[in-house]
Amino acid sequence: MNRAPRRYLRFRRPDRAEHLVLLTSFTILAITGLVQKFAEAGLSQTVISALGGVEATRTIHHIAAVVLMLEAIFHLGTVSYKVFVRRTRLDMLPGLIDARRAWSAFLYNLGLRRHPPQEGRYTFAEKAEYFAVVWGTLLMAVTGFMMWNPISTTRWLPGQIIPAAKAAHGYEAILAVLAILIWHMYHVHLRRFNRSMFTGHLKEDEMIEEHPLELADIKAGLAERPADPKAVARRRRVFLPIYAAVAVLLLAGVYAFVTFEQTAITTLPEPVDVPVFAPLTATPMPTPAPTATPAATVTRAPTASLVAGATESPSTVTTTWKLDIAPILMPQCGTCHGAGGGMAGLDLTSYAGAFQGGTSGPAVVPGDPAASLLVQRQQAGDHPGQLTSEELARVIAWIEAGAPE
Amino acid sequence: MLFLAAAALAGLAVTPSSPASATAAPAPAARQPANPADLANDECLACHASPGQTVTLPSGELLNISVAAEAFDQSVHGREGLVCLDCHPGNAEVPHAPVTAQSRRDYVVQRYTACAECHADKYAATLDSVHQRALAGGNLEAAVCTDCHGAHDVTSIADGPRSAIPQTCERCHSAIFNAYQESVHGGALMDESNPDVPTCIDCHGVHDVQGPSTEAFHLFSPTICAGCHADPELMASYGLSTAILETYVSDFHGTTVLLFEKLAPDQETNKPVCVDCHGVHDIQRVDDPKSTVIQENLLVTCRRCHPDATANFPAAWLGHYPPDPQHAPLVFYVNVFYWVFIPVVIGGMLIFVVADVFRRILNRRREAGPERSRRARHE
Repeated sequence: MNRAPRRYLRFRRPDRAEHLVLLTSFTILAITGLVQKFAEAGLSQTVISALGGVEATRTIHHIAAVVLMLEAIFHLGTVSYKVFVRRTRLDMLPGLIDARRAWSAFLYNLGLRRHPPQEGRYTFAEKAEYFAVVWGTLLMAVTGFMMWNPISTTRWLPGQIIPAAKAAHGYEAILAVLAILIWHMYHVHLRRFNRSMFTGHLKEDEMIEEHPLELADIKAGLAERPADPKAVARRRRVFLPIYAAVAVLLLAGVYAFVTFEQTAITTLPEPVDVPVFAPLTATPMPTPAPTATPAATVTRAPTASLVAGATESPSTVTTTWKLDIAPILMPQCGTCHGAGGGMAGLDLTSYAGAFQGGTSGPAVVPGDPAASLLVQRQQAGDHPGQLTSEELARVIAWIEAGAPE
Repeated sequence: MLFLAAAALAGLAVTPSSPASATAAPAPAARQPANPADLANDECLACHASPGQTVTLPSGELLNISVAAEAFDQSVHGREGLVCLDCHPGNAEVPHAPVTAQSRRDYVVQRYTACAECHADKYAATLDSVHQRALAGGNLEAAVCTDCHGAHDVTSIADGPRSAIPQTCERCHSAIFNAYQESVHGGALMDESNPDVPTCIDCHGVHDVQGPSTEAFHLFSPTICAGCHADPELMASYGLSTAILETYVSDFHGTTVLLFEKLAPDQETNKPVCVDCHGVHDIQRVDDPKSTVIQENLLVTCRRCHPDATANFPAAWLGHYPPDPQHAPLVFYVNVFYWVFIPVVIGGMLIFVVADVFRRILNRRREAGPERSRRARHE
């Protein structure tokens, strides 16, 4: 007898390679897909950010989808080869017996059966998972095509098919990820870490526990059907060209899947031109233009009645600087034309200052109001510190009277 | 949001404080001149009340230096008892320092910073605005405080009708105002004084108004629309869906925009936001024949970005309503199927796995039990 523990081949190298490709593409698809489905979650945004943004995330998702489709085409080849060329038993096909085994396993777990069901090469748990993968991949491919090519899809189908496909794609993803986390993780990693998908082999005790019927078949020499090498070679000659043709068609399908349509423009849409600055007036808020002559309604402004006021002024009453004129000029003019030479060197707060005048000449020419700059400026009507018509009339009368102190 | 913005604007006008006592709590009613040497308004008006007084500027323009005393008295500053020197502190000396402005606009731009003496927060906000950036870039026409609020006749926003807000913006942006006036929002405001619809500042902000042409604003804009349209109280009287934001964000366009806004707010994207489909200032009711999103016009709107779209394509968008059996039976029943299918499958798996775990633990104990007692006997 062999000292070394006996090992049984379970998965050949291509099978293991397929599993690695499936494992990688599925994980990438799940991560890049779910972060889009739950885009509002902080964790999703961290992942998307790490992947280089949502557009990059979508590109990665698309690449992984293509890899998975290529793997599916390859898998179709290996399975067909086993079935049609090697005439392997179809022991992956689920049947009524698997339902029965699942049920009796459940009853055993509850303590209602004395023994667990005896399994062959593939347990009911494995078959369930395999068909979930096949079914899920098909559904994801169909709904994915619709989302990838919504314009072409809606050429033949109602528009609602797109959000429906999106809903199915998202929920199916959740289902697949949960199934992997619960079913696959438990049966292959937690219950007993089954390394055969990486090493290719199972040990005898593992075979006894998980695949006793297969082990019995192997020991009885019934596991592999005897194959006539000539017949296999003949079948292979027929199979390979047929598969090649099918594979070319499917690869063309994948190419079409990816390049079917240009869904949206890749540039920014045509901008709408809006005149932003279209002022109602020349400048946004114009300073009101000044009026050259004061408006008649303004009470303080002198008016054309100035001359009339002058003639009416009582010449009999003596008007003096000290009593009459200084009280008028001090508040109205003194602010600017104050003591010590105000604006334009003019001081209108003192009798002498008024006579002396400023840089333009004497403000007061006794006896001649028309020659007095004070009267000229005030009659123009636009001088700051404007006198009323009565005040100006009194000033004129005072000048006419010889401008007495 | 509407009222907050309006109140913020109103706040500008009703909380003056004297420049010299800016740190003290404002007490406008009992205001004393900060400086006893301050000239009273009467002294200023002794000269400046006379209409038609001008200073000729180097540009050849006449700067009006007359003040309409009545208008000032009726202004919010006049009512609060502010004096001329509060805003013109450099003019305490007579004769005044000569005007250095080259033009009338130059004078406004030189002087408007006086507002910052009392309204520092509002002024600071404007520093980040598109108007200030334009001004800093040399565009003297860009709006400053007094362009919107007025100067001697400054009024409180609270005193005016809400329609005064767009009419203020209209002074410079008349083309946009004209479009707004024809929109569902603008029409309701201008014709019906509707208090719910947004004015310019509700979407664009007030003092820190941003340029809407930035990508950041574009990406953020759905949040602005949702501010009102996701508010059930506000939407109740109009019978509009309040699910606009979540239906948008859960869709391809919205997901992209949400992620761009969060992760790369300056990144350009051609994925549409609300206004790209509904229109901006000219936005219409969705059942208005002029609407860009009414059934009859939807394909044209979709084709702006999807030029090959055909008649069925627009129905791929469910129109801001969560799928229900009447409007989107296919989507609704796909959802229902998975709401049942996922719990059944996953629940079944869990029950099976838990039972299996339970059995294995039990088996291990049973195996270990006889083992232990055997070992004990052996020793």
